Amino acid sequence: MKITFSVNEMPQSIEIDDENTPLLWVIRDMLDLKGTKFGCGKAACGACTLHVDGEAVRSCSYPAKLVEGKKVTTIEGLGSEEHPHPVQQAWVEEVVPQCGYCQPGFMMATAALLDKIPEPTDNDIDQNIINVCRCATYYRMRKAIHRAAVIKKNTTQPVNSESDG
Amino acid sequence: MTLLVAGGTLMTISASRSKVSDYSSIASASKAISEDTPFNKMMQVLTHERCVNCHPTDNIPKQGNDSHPHYFGMMRGEENLGFAATKCTTCHQTENNAYSGVPGAPHWSLAPKSMGWQGLNKYEIAEAMLDKTKNGNRSHSELIHHLTQDSLVLWAFEPGVDQEGIPREKPPISEAAYKAAVLAWFENGAVVPEE
Amino acid sequence: MAKNKKKLSRRKFLVRGGLGTLGVLAVGTYVFRNPIRRQIAGMIDTGETPYLGNTKSPILWFEITKDNKIILYSPKVEMGQGTFTGLAQIAADELEVSMEQIAVAHAPSSSGNMDDFATGGSTSISSLWVPLRELAATLREMIKMEAAKKMGTVATSLSVKDGVISEGDRTITYAEAAKDVTEWDIPDTPPLKDMKDYQFIGKPISRVDLKDKVFGTPIFGMDATMPNMLYGAVVRPTVIGATYAEADTSKAENMPGVVKVVKEQDFVGVVANSRMEAENAKNAIDVKWDIPKVWQTADIEAMIEVGKGEPYVIQKEGSPKKTLQEDETLIISEFKSPIGAHAQLEPNGALAYVEGDKATVMMSTQVVKITRNEIAERLGLEKEQVNIVPTFLGGGFGRRLHTPNGIQAAVLSKAVGTPVKCFLDRKEEFQNDTFRPPTHHVLKAKLNEKGLIEAIEHNVSSGDVAWGSPMLPSVVETILGADLGAWRGGMIQYGAIPNYQAISWRVKLPFATSWWRSLGLLANTFAIESFMDELAAKAGKDPVQFRLDQIQDDDRGYRLKEVIKAAADKAGWTDKVVNGRAMGFAASTDVNTPCAQIVEVSVENNEIKVHKVTCAMDPGLVVNPDQVKAQCEGAIIMGMSASLFERMYVEEGQLQPTIYGPYEMALMKHAPKEIDVVLLQNADVPGGVGEPPLGPIGAAIANAVFRLTGERLREMPLKIS
Repeated sequence: MKITFSVNEMPQSIEIDDENTPLLWVIRDMLDLKGTKFGCGKAACGACTLHVDGEAVRSCSYPAKLVEGKKVTTIEGLGSEEHPHPVQQAWVEEVVPQCGYCQPGFMMATAALLDKIPEPTDNDIDQNIINVCRCATYYRMRKAIHRAAVIKKNTTQPVNSESDG
Repeated sequence: MTLLVAGGTLMTISASRSKVSDYSSIASASKAISEDTPFNKMMQVLTHERCVNCHPTDNIPKQGNDSHPHYFGMMRGEENLGFAATKCTTCHQTENNAYSGVPGAPHWSLAPKSMGWQGLNKYEIAEAMLDKTKNGNRSHSELIHHLTQDSLVLWAFEPGVDQEGIPREKPPISEAAYKAAVLAWFENGAVVPEE
Repeated sequence: MAKNKKKLSRRKFLVRGGLGTLGVLAVGTYVFRNPIRRQIAGMIDTGETPYLGNTKSPILWFEITKDNKIILYSPKVEMGQGTFTGLAQIAADELEVSMEQIAVAHAPSSSGNMDDFATGGSTSISSLWVPLRELAATLREMIKMEAAKKMGTVATSLSVKDGVISEGDRTITYAEAAKDVTEWDIPDTPPLKDMKDYQFIGKPISRVDLKDKVFGTPIFGMDATMPNMLYGAVVRPTVIGATYAEADTSKAENMPGVVKVVKEQDFVGVVANSRMEAENAKNAIDVKWDIPKVWQTADIEAMIEVGKGEPYVIQKEGSPKKTLQEDETLIISEFKSPIGAHAQLEPNGALAYVEGDKATVMMSTQVVKITRNEIAERLGLEKEQVNIVPTFLGGGFGRRLHTPNGIQAAVLSKAVGTPVKCFLDRKEEFQNDTFRPPTHHVLKAKLNEKGLIEAIEHNVSSGDVAWGSPMLPSVVETILGADLGAWRGGMIQYGAIPNYQAISWRVKLPFATSWWRSLGLLANTFAIESFMDELAAKAGKDPVQFRLDQIQDDDRGYRLKEVIKAAADKAGWTDKVVNGRAMGFAASTDVNTPCAQIVEVSVENNEIKVHKVTCAMDPGLVVNPDQVKAQCEGAIIMGMSASLFERMYVEEGQLQPTIYGPYEMALMKHAPKEIDVVLLQNADVPGGVGEPPLGPIGAAIANAVFRLTGERLREMPLKIS
């Protein structure tokens, strides 16, 4: 089966025998984008979280056949060192990661959260950020999420916001 | 009173001319015989965990044959679709996933709170189902369509495997028998029997 | 009144002599007659492990790159504990380079720079504190000597800064000085700098691996790739005690993508073109297992009972047995903790390439040398023919203190002649874990007329932690007797009590139990510190003051008292319930690092909510205060997770559950919204950091809950009934 879609703004086309192959393995093994992680394969831990058409999706439980014509964003496409996404910038400022393995999934889930709720409350964070971190970096993550909201707000402010007359 | 028995024979019992003990044994016998009504068949499905798990009366979807609360604190959300960024569809897709064991069907979501059935008995559920203020303003024909054609409703009969690869328990009667029972019940006036 | 404790000299244990004083530590007297036993026990207790590897050859440790950067090849692996960053700071300070000029990489085993111990036990920074500085200082002098040669001058007239050597106007970079050098003159170890002259040590330097982890660089074992790589899967037991007998692979052989089915004496596996194809084929293999017994949770619980198993007195002072006679004044309490899973997010696995008489294995492991030796043995190769390339670990926690999965990947690779990547799936991780063993505790005590403890005894029954681990040669087992991991944290730390003892009851369980971050510390502290609160209540005393009044007057006691006071002060300690919240206190000492925690807890809808944790810890000299705080934050929440949620059980022979969710763990919403960490440095060498903060949390929460509800919770996971 041939599947055509885009990943991080790059068009991709793959040939795959098993159309039910989880998107996670297409991303990791066929496209060699290793940032998205395997943690459980059962949509329980969230380490495989990426975006499909702007929505957070757990790619270990998303068959390749469904991605036809869609836009996928992974951690590699969220931002770069030169142009970090506000979430990534906040993650750096707060020095969040410890082992780091679960962090891309959390950052993708957080980016989706900020898209929907630009200034999330602690309760919004509790409800939407339900991935598993064994190093338990949640304390710094929460700070980073609030910080990311501020960064995002400041970087999308129009330049001449004070000249309102 | 008249009892409908499988096979179509009618038994008429005149309560005033029987002893109490006769009556009670006949009543329990008649109850056993009446298990097979379209109403009961339909409700055997609609009270099964595969259905009730997504018809909670609170805001928490349930999982499994033990109907435990959905893990990770997933809840109804504003539009029965989960939370703003972590939606039902973050994990549940339009069909079951054999690799992850995550169930799926088109428009996977919770039934609205007005269609909350958990904790209700079959009579209460049926009443609620017919109540236009609760059932999304559905007429009988629209209800029939929902109950027999909606792909999310019919998911109950193809519920896929769990994360161990073990097939989920299906409702106790077949999809065809269920559909026939629904049609028969509505055809006969959609009467909710006495409790 | 504190007895005059026999002081145990530290100098006997240090490979590197004579530097730094942790205060001379009293570890209490042991009943062991064997002096070696006592020394090893003391070593474990104080966390003073000398670094067991090369400390003499800077060339083995460092590389100078053409663009004037230094690569530090670390034999300690990075699993999130921040070791790479700490080591970089330590090295950079003596090397006279900036943090931007130093990079850290995992030392492959072929480099020869290997650790004879492991990465674990909260020992990486403490064991390398002196040796790494000496190595770095020595390298700096070596470079200066070469610079002097090239500049036609003497090393003593040269100054160094940020990787540049100068004499007046003339400068030469490290890279230029090192250029074309084939044989280095290695000088005597130069004196180390004064603490006040360090730029990086003691500062909250940002993690050196931060960017890689934020931007998704492929650095983990699971991310490794090689050209022409295939994918392997091995059938693993799902039932306790099952051994592989035989397999019917006929169906698997014909499945899509299968390259080869590999049948060994002890396992069967498959190699295929993709991960899913390998997994599907593996699932189609019909294995026959020998299963001698079908275990249930009740069987395990019946084994872990104080009074069963072999008893070892691991600590004794005064006459506890005589004082703790059974009468109406004897106070007895019991506590329990369950089987705990590691549940680290990156599963175990390896990418192996066996090419003739050479094997390269890329994998996440905490025991590089042992793994190399095991693979070499299995393949029939010389040790030097196997190269382990360690990768960043997606979680260690002791899970990877034995990584035999490298053997399986290597065997599969050998069978097909290409690189093979073979990993466990999540269910296999849960069912083949080396668990934190369940425990049962019985504590006894009597109070004197002043309301202080006259005598106290702690009995802990536990599955083994250290035994069965290839890390410890069996001779150590014979010497020590008791499992040194299980009784970690199990000794009484209140040395002013006149009579006390700790007894370890050793049980060998039918499934693998081993090292789980802080070993017995969490459960032992839960039991002892809950009991201390019970005794304080019986004596009508404030729990914090009750502890302070029973700590001995020596350096160790001083350091413990200071963290307790610091925690109480920072938290605004009170034993009153205020606005539906209560505080709970507990303290422990582990690898010579005392830690006291005060939690603020409420109970809502039968749910225990932890709002705030105040943690005071004294790890001695702090190399990176921000990373030490991060370890405290993480360990506190991990300990909370184990104390409130986690529990494995056994059903029809299978360890359950096998997935996150059913294996309940702390999530974002459970994490306290406030964590205050106060670091004290009442010692001038670094002690352990990664594990000590796990100790107090369980007891602190239980103590707070008691204050709120009057219910004494005696079993982890703690649940309101």
